[in-house]
Amino acid sequence: MPCRYPYVTGTSMLGITYKDGVLLASDTLGAYGSTKRYKSFERIRKVNDVCVLGASGELSDFQYIMRLLEELSDDDFCMDDGHHLKPAEVHSYLCRVLYNRRNKFDPLWNSLVVGGFYAGQPFLGTVGMIGTNYTDVHLATGFGNHLARPLMREKHRPDMSEEEATELMRECLKVCYYRDKNSINKFQMAKVSAEGVTISEPFALETDWKYKLFENPAANAAGAW
Amino acid sequence: MSGIGSGYDNSVSTFSPDGRVFQTDYAQKAVDNSGTVVGIRCKDGVVLGAEKLIISKMLVENSNRRTFPVDRHAGVATAGVAADGRSIVSRAMSEANQYKSFYGDPIPGHVLAERLGSYVHVFNLYWYVRPYGVSTLLATYGKEGPQLYLVEPSGTSHRYFGTAVGKGRQGAKNEIEKLKLEEMSCREGIQAVAKILHQVHDEEKGFELELAWICEESGRQFQRVPQQLAEEAEAAAKAALEAEDMDD
Amino acid sequence: MAAALPVRASVPAAGQAVKQHATWSPYDDNGGTVVAVAGDDYCVVAASTRMSTGYSILTRNKSKILQLNPKCVIASAGMQADQETLHKVLHSRHVTYQFNHRKPMACPAMAQLLSNTLYYKRFFPYYTFNLCAGLDDEGRGAVYTYDAIGSYERVGYGCQGNGKELVQPVLDNQLKAASPLALPPQQWLSSLPLEQAVDLVKGAFVSAGERDIYTGDDVEILIITKDCIKTDRLELKRD
Repeated sequence: MPCRYPYVTGTSMLGITYKDGVLLASDTLGAYGSTKRYKSFERIRKVNDVCVLGASGELSDFQYIMRLLEELSDDDFCMDDGHHLKPAEVHSYLCRVLYNRRNKFDPLWNSLVVGGFYAGQPFLGTVGMIGTNYTDVHLATGFGNHLARPLMREKHRPDMSEEEATELMRECLKVCYYRDKNSINKFQMAKVSAEGVTISEPFALETDWKYKLFENPAANAAGAW
Repeated sequence: MSGIGSGYDNSVSTFSPDGRVFQTDYAQKAVDNSGTVVGIRCKDGVVLGAEKLIISKMLVENSNRRTFPVDRHAGVATAGVAADGRSIVSRAMSEANQYKSFYGDPIPGHVLAERLGSYVHVFNLYWYVRPYGVSTLLATYGKEGPQLYLVEPSGTSHRYFGTAVGKGRQGAKNEIEKLKLEEMSCREGIQAVAKILHQVHDEEKGFELELAWICEESGRQFQRVPQQLAEEAEAAAKAALEAEDMDD
Repeated sequence: MAAALPVRASVPAAGQAVKQHATWSPYDDNGGTVVAVAGDDYCVVAASTRMSTGYSILTRNKSKILQLNPKCVIASAGMQADQETLHKVLHSRHVTYQFNHRKPMACPAMAQLLSNTLYYKRFFPYYTFNLCAGLDDEGRGAVYTYDAIGSYERVGYGCQGNGKELVQPVLDNQLKAASPLALPPQQWLSSLPLEQAVDLVKGAFVSAGERDIYTGDDVEILIITKDCIKTDRLELKRD
């Protein structure tokens, strides 16, 4: 089926490293075209104790990818030798999976972000639907690359504290929410550090819509509501 | 055509006049001669223990495993031909994996036991194969709670509160019957299993004890009993046995 | 990554209004420029480290050079995923070659292998523009330049990628190469001393970085001599 297109999609996924870990964040929307179809979709999932995966793009493909990773983790568990997939290995694996699917002209319609912390080192990498991939100290998929990345380039330092990093992340989320039509004010943030993986409960950000035209959008359109 | 089987012992596709399939019986014997393997279901989980006879002084400790996880919520201990055991383990792993990918849920213990039973049974039907020389103790912890199953070379699979296979099975079963399993925690269980295996071990040569469990403490995941706990349990078991000997 | 996000394209439905539909392409140009200059007893190889898609920068630090052995490297511009795959294929072929032959692959041999590898995918090509560079069996600098489907030629210097239109004339001029049309064939190895060759490459990259949006951030420079591969780095403008 060479000509597929995505049905239910997630928007930007953001990731930054900091002094002792990485943060991933995104909203929880699964959009069916421009319909806000699923409002509590967890787009960041735990892979194992040192790694999380975040996804934008087709969410059913993301669930399929999670199943692949869960099978790999289960195999690791059954081998029972203490070995498990490292973040860089998860990233490399996903790069090959997505690249091989584009070679079959049947792509997995995702931009993925892998966040991890292993051997004292944070890991942050991304891969797109045709297999293009890179690692960096901060990254963002989709609109996030236009909206959040400039903020990150300005304010990010690899030696940030967790508090600073969280604050930067919330600012990036807010900007993405203000400007990205296909996003909602309900977010999740994941942290991977030496303590392991934590994925936050969904939360909202305080927004300010006092800009004049926001307050009374129909002011110049008599007869509208 | 003389001998113990009188010609009826060459193939699994022929019954003997008195209704036996000798190859199946012989496979069971392969199990009966192996190191003892014990399983008990306690109130909060299942404990499996294996008596591993030391085949060489030069053997690296822990390199001959007898207990294996086959999924997060299930694991087996095998008695009999070790290589056959590995084959059973990989079959159990793929059954568990397949069930999860099909139904999105972990495989229930009774389903896994039945599927292993059916798989093993097939090797009792055709002249060109031999039966598995393995009995498999299966420990699971799912929605039905903790459960223990035994799959034998003939393909029968039953659920037990406690059972034993291998050389010392008779003595071990007698001891298990004395235990109050419904009041026993897995912590106490590992000590009981260690004690039984030491009790039924009747050779000059020593043995390596392998303990695995699945319970609340292990997060309902099948795992080897943590080394420190296992060592403590074994020490306590030995001490209890010595105390009993003194009383005699 | 913006590269991989569905692009909007219009697909007219029969008799209906134009419908918006996401579509995709198996190719993306992630930009970059690679340059190599061969000398009598050295070879300079350089590649920009910016990775882009469209008008966006994805990352400022992505290497485009594969070091196979102390006498042979491959530098590739084009699509990152194809480039990485190509490098992995060549790397593993090189490892098996070493098992079989008990020596690293010589540069001319790797040049042929790269050609074959590219041509193998003639009808679904790797979207990569490569240079194979190093020292040949006589210890002279060697540069091989390719198209995406495996045509190749040994040259005295070469460049590939987005900045090639800017860099090639500079090299032609400065290295005063004899025309390949001249008969009898003339020596095309650079007679420049190593230091000047490195400066030339750096200068060429600064110029390319000034005018080409896909060339910038950093330049990774490898200097291959009979003793070792030295690495150098040049910072370009980040705009």
